[in-house]
Amino acid sequence: MSAPPLASVTAPPAMASRVATAVVLVALLALPFFQPHQFVLHMLALVAISATVALGLQLLLGFSGQLSIGQAAFYGIGAYTSALLTTKLGVPFLGALFAAGIVAAVTSLLMVPITRLTGAYLAVATLGFSILVYLFIKNEEWLTGGSFGFMGIPRASVFGTVLRNPGHAYLLCVVVAALVYFALAQLQRSRFGRAINAIRQNEDAARASGIPVTLLKSQCFVIAAFVAGLAGSLYAHQVRYLAPNDFTFWKSIEILIMVVIGGMGSLFGAVLGAAVVVLLPEVLREIGDYRMLVFGAVLMAVMLFGEAGVAGFLSAIGRRLGRALRSSGGDGGATQASAARKDRARA
Amino acid sequence: MGAGYFAELLVGGLAIGCVYSLVALGFAMIIRATGIIHFAQGELLMLGSMVALSAMWVLPKLPAIAVLVCGMLAGGVLAVAMEFLVYRPLRLRRVPLMNVITATVGMSILCINAARIIWGSEPLRYPELFATSAYEFLGLRVSPQLVWIMVFGVILMGLLQLFLRHTRTGLVMQAVAQDADAAQLMGANLTRIMVYTFAISGMMAGAAGVMVGSLFFSFFEMGFVTGLKGFVAATLGGLGSLAGAMLGGILFGLIETFSAVYVSSAYKDGIGMVLLIVILLFLPSGLVGLWKGRR
Repeated sequence: MSAPPLASVTAPPAMASRVATAVVLVALLALPFFQPHQFVLHMLALVAISATVALGLQLLLGFSGQLSIGQAAFYGIGAYTSALLTTKLGVPFLGALFAAGIVAAVTSLLMVPITRLTGAYLAVATLGFSILVYLFIKNEEWLTGGSFGFMGIPRASVFGTVLRNPGHAYLLCVVVAALVYFALAQLQRSRFGRAINAIRQNEDAARASGIPVTLLKSQCFVIAAFVAGLAGSLYAHQVRYLAPNDFTFWKSIEILIMVVIGGMGSLFGAVLGAAVVVLLPEVLREIGDYRMLVFGAVLMAVMLFGEAGVAGFLSAIGRRLGRALRSSGGDGGATQASAARKDRARA
Repeated sequence: MGAGYFAELLVGGLAIGCVYSLVALGFAMIIRATGIIHFAQGELLMLGSMVALSAMWVLPKLPAIAVLVCGMLAGGVLAVAMEFLVYRPLRLRRVPLMNVITATVGMSILCINAARIIWGSEPLRYPELFATSAYEFLGLRVSPQLVWIMVFGVILMGLLQLFLRHTRTGLVMQAVAQDADAAQLMGANLTRIMVYTFAISGMMAGAAGVMVGSLFFSFFEMGFVTGLKGFVAATLGGLGSLAGAMLGGILFGLIETFSAVYVSSAYKDGIGMVLLIVILLFLPSGLVGLWKGRR
């Protein structure tokens, strides 16, 4: 592996990746029927929620090239909005879910002027904003419960049916994540998607070709905030207890890690990254104190994979596997041919 | 709230501002030379503080200046190690900048947890480094800690400026920061300059660590927030220049101290952030834009 396999990320292979996505989605949707342990379902629901936020940041960072380290702000705004609407005003869950997205998006309009900034300056400004939101959540006890946290958030419900079964709550998170995934995939292929891709590659050239750079960049911000708000609402009703510490600067960093670790510019990568960041510390729980130490080391090691991240690494392994299968000879024809086909489509 | 109280706040703000300046200088130097936002800068501060404290446990009679040097050495050596073991291999593989930046986050997580395992998670008290009785200037009583932090901070920043302006290595470092390719064509050894850059940044952070430790406590999570504030301070001043980073640090320290008392202690971190966002909106390249733009 010399150069990072960039091509596989920027130009997704049409057929193979669609098949892979469909297989993964069906597997995720079918999972509750095998009645796994409640904890497994809860963790996977958290993965789906994190994947949703990460997908939003992928649009912002991976597609349009804007580094935000303040996504936790919109996540938190979504979570508290949803919690407040359902407990204080009795709004049904689905209404609160959308309201959470809308409120987060509207708040992000405050940030629109700073989309003029680039690189480290943009990063610092978004960081500053997320610290402000954190302080607000922590100090305005009358509204958010302050450091004591926000308790008594009802379970999610769909059209009057409360989702008591953890399998159903899990399905809700997966469905929302999948909807966001497909909406963003559609967006990526649209005129808008091509325009922000142009902005990421060369802002001046994009502006010279008549692309309204500032407008599109702000739109990316608003969309990412809307998605983060949705995820926040899901989180509030999944965990049913909110504390300011869930929405610190570390959360923003975590979301950023998901995107970079999974593979910049790849929606599937954002999902993979979310799975790694949420599940790896659980897997490492046995080594106790050394858990986060190993996590930091793994994070640095994964950065060696380059821009394509874990997603690119996996597809490179897939390619090699396909090549090895092909060269090993003629037995077991069917699976081999399909692997080779997949591989060719990928390359 | 008399003049005495005001002066006390002023000295406190300036002292903590010096600490932020030292951290901000490290951030600015690394960003200028490599483009990396070095999130592990705060951890260098923490490790410098911890190592200096450990040195005092071994040799209780160590003078203050030696403790400071200990912290600086620890910060410098560790920063060079980070560059050697992680950032350089990443650069050599030509991974995108975003990956290197994320690797610095990984480094930060690694350092925090290593420190927690080595030194435990309780805040550790620093022994008295300086005289215990307050100094008196013109009838105003000032804490010796704060005075010495300011003195050491100013001396370090002055030495750095002298080094950058009047030594060959310093001039090469500035040339690399302005245009790495051109400097390399003129014979600058980029690899060596990167090592110097990280060494100096680490030393600044280590010194800041000893100062913060002697003011408050030393514990494994002290670096992250202080590091972030240093980053904010560097941006406030404008990442393009070292003078801006120093100015930004001192300004940020003053804003934080005064707003905690006169506006709201709950929102003391927030006021600096609001100012930062406003300043960036009007001066997208920080405070330095003020006089650079006038040319």
